[in-house]
Amino acid sequence: MSKGLSTLLSLEWTEAFEEANMLSFTEMLLMVHVGFGMLCIVASVWVFVEALNVNENNVTRIRKISLAVAVFMWLAYLFGGYWYVFYYGMDKAIILKGPWPFSHSFFMEMKEHVVLMLLLLATYLPIAAANKLATSRAARKIVLWVSGLIALVGMAMDGSGAIISMGVKVALLPK
Amino acid sequence: MENKDLGRYTASFGVSLGITCVVSALLVILKELGEHSVLVWMKEATGHHWATHGLFDLVVFVVLGLLLARANGGSGIAISEKGLVNIIVGGVVLGGLIIAGFYLIVG
Repeated sequence: MSKGLSTLLSLEWTEAFEEANMLSFTEMLLMVHVGFGMLCIVASVWVFVEALNVNENNVTRIRKISLAVAVFMWLAYLFGGYWYVFYYGMDKAIILKGPWPFSHSFFMEMKEHVVLMLLLLATYLPIAAANKLATSRAARKIVLWVSGLIALVGMAMDGSGAIISMGVKVALLPK
Repeated sequence: MENKDLGRYTASFGVSLGITCVVSALLVILKELGEHSVLVWMKEATGHHWATHGLFDLVVFVVLGLLLARANGGSGIAISEKGLVNIIVGGVVLGGLIIAGFYLIVG
């Protein structure tokens, strides 16, 4: 093998390696985004169940988990947002050329805007949980509705994310 | 009837949440239909229209919540538990339907 050819192959291999590393970084970003989103859903269900059985012993726990819901949601938003702003363009182009363009034109467009409402809901939960939950039926009801909404909207977002991923996958399948 | 069990921030930020959800959904329509005006401005403001949208929602939510908390001489907005639930759930559901409906029909 000539020196020139081996240098060229080495360069190509390096570029391919860098590309693979970049992909794994974006995939990591996505996994972290989904992970925090799932933690947010699980924590909101936890708050819901605890609020159904609220008493003086679990009020502090409800407040802590409510705060965790907000933190998890903010982390999911920041990681997902970073990925969306800087890396989604490539996936979008693939989706739109594939057989599932609706996974962008409906599901991603809907998800990216509904998730902002989810962020507000999660931010509001610790405020609602700061009330006297053990003695106030009204305060408990607000926490139940908000945590329930977070879980439902969160699952809808998770499902939409799965459809978006499938949109990329079916576009890359051999015809 | 006002419910004294709800703290003033719970009531004010709850109302703010419901209103912000609907305003945010209306902004979606505004920016998508104003592709050469609103959308361009939103892109220029932060570098991405979605980042501007998120920032706008947060500012509306916080400012409106704080303003409503200062209503009634500082005791906060007067609202019943049922009214607050209706505003929160109604705002989220209406906002979601506006967004999903828009992208389903127009988008």
